[in-house]
Amino acid sequence: MSRLAISGRIGLALVVLWVIVALAGPALAPHGVGEVVDLDVFSGVSRAFPLGTDYLGRDMLSRVLYGARYTVFIAFVATAIAVVTGVLLGLAAAAGGWVDMLLSRLFDIVIAIPSLMFALVVIAATGASIPVLIGTLAVIYTPGAFRTARSLAMGVMALDFVSAARARGEGLPYIVVREVLPNVTGPLAADFGLRFVFVVLLLSGLSFLGLGVQPPEADLGALVRENIAGLGFGAPAVLFPAVAIASLTIGMNLLIDSLPGRRRR
Amino acid sequence: MTLSPLVSLIGRRVGASLVTLLFVSLAVFGIAQLMEGDVAEAILGQSATPEALAGLRAAMHLDQPAWERYLEWATGVLTGDPGRSLITGLPVWEMIAARLGNSLTLAGLTALVSVPLALLLGIVAAVKRGTAFDRTISIATIGIVSVPEFLIATLAVMLFAVTLRWLPALSSTRDVHSTWDLVRVFAMPVFSLACFVMAQMVRMTRAAVIDALDTSYAEAARLKGCSPARVVLRHALPNAIGPIANAIALSLSTLLGGVIVVEIIFNYPGVARLMVDAVATRDLPLVQTVAVIFCIAYLLLVTTADVVAILANPRLRHR
Amino acid sequence: MIGRRDAIRLIGGGGLSIGLGACGFEPARPEPAGGRLRVAVAVSSTADTMDPARQTVVTDFCRCAMVYDGLTKLDERFLPQPALAEAIETADARDWSIRLRKGVRFHDGSPLTVADVVYSLRRHLDPAVGSKAKVFADQFASVRADGPDRVRIVLKTPNADLPTILGIQQFQIVRDGTRDFNKPVGTGPMRMLEYMPGVRSLAARYDDYWRGPVRLGECELFAIPDDSARINALLSGDVDLIHAINPRITRHLTGAGFELLESKSSGYTDLIARMDRAPGNNPDFIEGLKLLLDRETMRTAIFRGYATIANDQPIAPTNPYYDPSVPQRPFDPDRARFLFKRAGLAGARVPLVTSTAADKSDDMAVLIQDAARRAGLGLDIRRVPSDGYWTNSWMKVPLGFGNTNPRPTADIIFTQFFASNALWNESAWKNARFDRLLVAARGETDEARRKSLYGEMQHLVHDQAGIGIPLFISSIDAYSPRLKGLRPMPQGGLMGFDFAAHVWLEGK
Repeated sequence: MSRLAISGRIGLALVVLWVIVALAGPALAPHGVGEVVDLDVFSGVSRAFPLGTDYLGRDMLSRVLYGARYTVFIAFVATAIAVVTGVLLGLAAAAGGWVDMLLSRLFDIVIAIPSLMFALVVIAATGASIPVLIGTLAVIYTPGAFRTARSLAMGVMALDFVSAARARGEGLPYIVVREVLPNVTGPLAADFGLRFVFVVLLLSGLSFLGLGVQPPEADLGALVRENIAGLGFGAPAVLFPAVAIASLTIGMNLLIDSLPGRRRR
Repeated sequence: MTLSPLVSLIGRRVGASLVTLLFVSLAVFGIAQLMEGDVAEAILGQSATPEALAGLRAAMHLDQPAWERYLEWATGVLTGDPGRSLITGLPVWEMIAARLGNSLTLAGLTALVSVPLALLLGIVAAVKRGTAFDRTISIATIGIVSVPEFLIATLAVMLFAVTLRWLPALSSTRDVHSTWDLVRVFAMPVFSLACFVMAQMVRMTRAAVIDALDTSYAEAARLKGCSPARVVLRHALPNAIGPIANAIALSLSTLLGGVIVVEIIFNYPGVARLMVDAVATRDLPLVQTVAVIFCIAYLLLVTTADVVAILANPRLRHR
Repeated sequence: MIGRRDAIRLIGGGGLSIGLGACGFEPARPEPAGGRLRVAVAVSSTADTMDPARQTVVTDFCRCAMVYDGLTKLDERFLPQPALAEAIETADARDWSIRLRKGVRFHDGSPLTVADVVYSLRRHLDPAVGSKAKVFADQFASVRADGPDRVRIVLKTPNADLPTILGIQQFQIVRDGTRDFNKPVGTGPMRMLEYMPGVRSLAARYDDYWRGPVRLGECELFAIPDDSARINALLSGDVDLIHAINPRITRHLTGAGFELLESKSSGYTDLIARMDRAPGNNPDFIEGLKLLLDRETMRTAIFRGYATIANDQPIAPTNPYYDPSVPQRPFDPDRARFLFKRAGLAGARVPLVTSTAADKSDDMAVLIQDAARRAGLGLDIRRVPSDGYWTNSWMKVPLGFGNTNPRPTADIIFTQFFASNALWNESAWKNARFDRLLVAARGETDEARRKSLYGEMQHLVHDQAGIGIPLFISSIDAYSPRLKGLRPMPQGGLMGFDFAAHVWLEGK
């Protein structure tokens, strides 16, 4: 903890805050997530409705408290799956040879399938559920993680100490895990933080397509989207979820940025 | 310095790309077969009856086996004619051409603006790592990219088109008669897109340059008394350029097909919306041709990134 | 709609070349006499069509209304008025003779002939055409020329409503033998100058129009699918008229000095429970479900007042056959709780399928879900993609939504949606008495008698059918104050999509 810079502590605090909200949100919410409590729509901030009301007259505070868990957990799990898969395969590919050729072309194909078609087929084949949603997000973002890890690792593989390790006769798994991985964690962590942002936002797009969180619940991105009509009157219903997403993602990235750097050669 | 390994690499990649394209078109066709509904149902919609559907399917040759329809399309593409749209009856190429020009224009302008700016911000942030400047850049890039794109674009329109009346709310290339018009029409779409694509480039540039600055030979160069600028440009960048080029390629590759929201909000007719329409109406010749075009663009970008990485880093050449 | 971030797979590359030459930049055109009206609607895609038989969405309706004419035209009471037909005569409602107007010319200069009319009507029977009006055309036993200016239509069974049916948009008249509609030629008030499906269209006044030239010079029509973007385009002056306004934003527009056009219609979005399977096969469940419709809250929260309270039957109060004696069903979750319990469904969980394809069903579902919770019934909302909704989900799921545009006659809506053998019998409701009444009303010539027959049918649908119709939805358009001549029509917004023939721009 003491090794974290100020910005890192802010980041940690924001992330912890959102994890708490995600865990305890539904218990703290003053109203039900689908309950219409206001005769007007897009009400401003008031004592009764601290974050105003949404496009149907539902309490925004309750909706944000209910919605945070989807954004926090789904996005985190999906990003983790995508990045871990992408990085493992990317490192394997970095050694070159037919493994690289095969994996690279495979991901080229995956990336070229239009995501709209992919999502529609997934919905038709499996129906919508949270695991399917996570899987879809992970599949969509794995190729990017793969390419990033591969290009980083290839740079390191060409360095002297790796050649030295090869000359020593070390096996490829040893080289990748002990020599290459420690030297690419910084950029990979940065990539993770950014990919997390993309997943948070794509999540709401998939929800609107029907593959995702089902009404009356909504993730934070979907809250922004469904209330967009209130933008013209500066309704808090559209501003607060946007701020919520920004604080979560900025917190996550500040934390990642200030993680202690690894040893270098 | 010999280029022949490079030439052979490019040769191999072109060959592999052709195979990739074949598989992509097969995969897209296969997935389309898995999708519920077909073009006849899309045309008739709510008023579909079994007889009407059967009649329309027969008229569109949808009753032919799937592989026959695929072969017909594939041989057409190889001879330069991807056929006609099942929905409009217009030649597919005619439908794509104008919109592809629009999309390339928008993507090109966005790249022109965002790539140099992102590189500059990323390098400076890396050099000034840990300073207030670095933190500001970090927070700003993440903050901006975490705002949903439709929100950024809508806010921009409300401010610049509705309130200030400086810019048109709709981006039509018809209204472009001078360079100044070009700036006015493209300012907001390019701004909205740049907000999105820059984050990945800035962050990857920063991370890669920091990594390269930490290497022993950058350290050695500093100890030799090289100026900071020289350390960055001559010693750090060549090593960092692989990941940076890759990040640029990945970011730019989202511009053609991924700008659907910008196309919708600014009513800009590009290929992203064409693709969405085509998928929604199950217009397979159009879907497949656009998918192949997207794939070609992607392959061009990533291959370029790989070649740039190899050119910049001589060590990679001897692999 | 998928956002930009899925991008990663809808990929493509951004080459650095800027192909300005390829982008169709053109020199500025002077504005024509009469002015150019710029109209933005909500939906447009490559599926846009200028084939009258296939028209489906607002863009198609508007463009076809500009370019083509029908034999008759429906007025604001859905009564047929003569258009390309000067007179329609019959003795037995089965054998009809239509006399064509003389001196009408198509946009290419060729005269309107009986061959054009025969071709235009007969093509609906060919499945390859994909006509939306095939179900109406199927009652034609024969359509043939009868001399140089008459067309004779013989029906399979008598139907006194034929002149109304001929006024349905899909029966507009095209030139004999037309197969390619990408360069459309009609007899209507505007000529198509430029037509790009999914992009835009530009039409200009047709000076030889048989009713006399209209006042508008040109009309540019395109879609801006994003609600906010469409409104911003009006606010910034980039367009003059926009369709499908989100009712929540109307305050914002009137505050900025723009005009609103509310078109009350008999179109609705309905809750559908299939009665041929559980749980819809239990009448208590059906009745309980309809008691969960909080019509007042729906009207305020979803439509901001731009809707008329409906009563679970499809005949709107504006219809001459509307029966006010049908008791208004209240919002009563307590009674619903009792009924669900009696049906053995207390605490059950039932999936409710919604889609943006059925307008506002998402929002309605949320309110119904909340009411159901209070009545001890768990509804799980399943949102499904709008594309493919009508073929994959509509009338296939036990509990879902439908959406119906205004229909010109009570007979059409009852025949299409409620007769036991109706193709779109949404709730699979079968009632022999209703079917007999339907046939009797169709052949009934005594208006009072006919009205009482239609009245009883409204009672039956209200009491028994597995559909809940909470509201008749108004369409809202917004326009710049310099646009004049717009008035509401019951067929739908934008003057029943026929605005181009009636409006003008002030000072032009």
